[in-house]
Amino acid sequence: MKFEILDPRTDPEPAGWARFRAKARLHPVWGYELMRLEAWLARNPPVLVTATADGAIVAAMSVLVCRPRLSPRFAPLPGRPLLRPFWAEVYQPWLSGYPGVAFSPDVPAGDRRELLRRFERHLRFRLGPGLLGVLYRALGEEFAALAAGPGRLIKAVDTTAILENTFTTEEDWIASLDVNRRSSMRRHTRKLRDDPTLVVRGGPGRTDLDIVTITHLVNHHRTRFGKAKLDTRTPPAPAYFESFVRRPDVHTLTYHDDQGTLLGVNTMLDHPDSPALQHWAALTPEEGGRRQIYFDSYLRGVRYMTQRGAKELSAGRGMGELKLNLGFRPRQLHVAVVPRPVLGR
Amino acid sequence: MWNLGVGALWRAAYLRTVRSSFATVPLYRERWALDGREDPVVVKGRTGSTGGALPAEEAVRKLVDLVPLAGGAATSEPCRGLGRVLRIARPVAAGDVVVVLDPRLPRPPAYLPPGVRGCVLDPDSPPDTALSALVNTLRGNGTVVAVGQDKTVAAFAATLPDELVRQVAAVPHRELDSLDNGPFGVLHDPLLGYLGAFGECGRWHLDWTRVYARSTSAGLVFTLLRQHSPRLVDVVVAGGVRGTVEPCPRHGTPVVLT
Repeated sequence: MKFEILDPRTDPEPAGWARFRAKARLHPVWGYELMRLEAWLARNPPVLVTATADGAIVAAMSVLVCRPRLSPRFAPLPGRPLLRPFWAEVYQPWLSGYPGVAFSPDVPAGDRRELLRRFERHLRFRLGPGLLGVLYRALGEEFAALAAGPGRLIKAVDTTAILENTFTTEEDWIASLDVNRRSSMRRHTRKLRDDPTLVVRGGPGRTDLDIVTITHLVNHHRTRFGKAKLDTRTPPAPAYFESFVRRPDVHTLTYHDDQGTLLGVNTMLDHPDSPALQHWAALTPEEGGRRQIYFDSYLRGVRYMTQRGAKELSAGRGMGELKLNLGFRPRQLHVAVVPRPVLGR
Repeated sequence: MWNLGVGALWRAAYLRTVRSSFATVPLYRERWALDGREDPVVVKGRTGSTGGALPAEEAVRKLVDLVPLAGGAATSEPCRGLGRVLRIARPVAAGDVVVVLDPRLPRPPAYLPPGVRGCVLDPDSPPDTALSALVNTLRGNGTVVAVGQDKTVAAFAATLPDELVRQVAAVPHRELDSLDNGPFGVLHDPLLGYLGAFGECGRWHLDWTRVYARSTSAGLVFTLLRQHSPRLVDVVVAGGVRGTVEPCPRHGTPVVLT
């Protein structure tokens, strides 16, 4: 088996990457062009690590190379040696609730643990002596079991919200909610429908959007909720969003008022099994926003899931209680810390 | 002066600003990493379509992306640098009052020379209190320096008693596309603030310790060397005006020739 570390900033897309993405059913954020943009515009740029057998990619990791810094800076240019200590995070930065490692279905479950160890050995060898260890983020139960072992710390840290598709229409979903939520959802729907000043547009591959306004709203929303501790991501840039929302497998839902002010935006990553509600950002009622549009975005997400016949709808982390109230179930996520001495063991 | 290495120091300050902006400011990272820039090139092989120049309209629209990752102000300061350029345009002394005649400005000029006060006035309807304070200054043989567009300076003079008008020193605003032959004037841009002034030598001098200028295919572009946030680097002003930056034969400091 051959392992390769690719810096999306300078290295071309690996042969067979599109085929692997389709086979492993990866979300659109694994697109190589998006990873390239993310890498150029990040403090801690992702690299792509692939394992190839018989000419086909069988597993891949998205690894953020994280450098501790006193003052935030973008990553050094490609090719600069890593002189100071750093760590690696196996993480897909804009895919909430999913790990940064993926296997082809051809890899038997029994071989995956050893393959993960070989990835770690390759990271240790290629990234050099400054590598302090590897941190796996957002691991589900199955991946947490693969990463576990002596000298490794596995900790349940968070949950992601999943709505299993047991409905035929969004009306079924509303009917499954508790009485209070059901009536409030219907009230919100009525209110939005009767609001002549609200313009709602949604769909895949949108080219009619003001990317700068969307990016600013998303980053404004993220700033309002504060930066999470140990968040190694960088606020998304307009260039990233431009490429992102134009993809045919990314749906963007926008809410404007009749003056053209963007009130809210929601992006959804299309997926045959598990579409994922991704970025959500909105103006607060004090800023002129509407409270109801948050619930409307879920309604439309559920409608899409039922129409597509997907198994589930993922709504990511955060707002757990509210999502529980909307019928979502929490799925446990773990982090795994693997210090250098036990890497690959 | 220019031959004594000052030009090299000026250039070094600009290169430091470019390096730091590429490393910490989202908009420059995006533009220069994905498209490129010239003089200096920061990503090998990428030179950009206009050498890395940033149109002022785009800078205004994306002002929040000009804040470095560590944070900072996201508002422009149109009165920035007035104190420095007045030294070239029309020296002021303690006790003088500088009046900026533009009602759109949010704040009065800061960092004027010691003892000099500044204010912002709407020339068409100046508040009575401010007007009486200015009249008192003029009657006490003080100087009022009126800074603004020609017509706003004229409108301001019309609000003063006739016998005092002669004591008002007018320093007109000039934008890069309308530089004239003086005898007074300050080079102003609504986004970058005051960039330079018409000197006694008859040339438009840059405030070179704070402002860098270079020529690109989009026209002359200006950089604020000491403004942390929003970071303004290689901004095209006045829609893009062709010109050069050369050392003044008399003073040895950079002047703008359009």
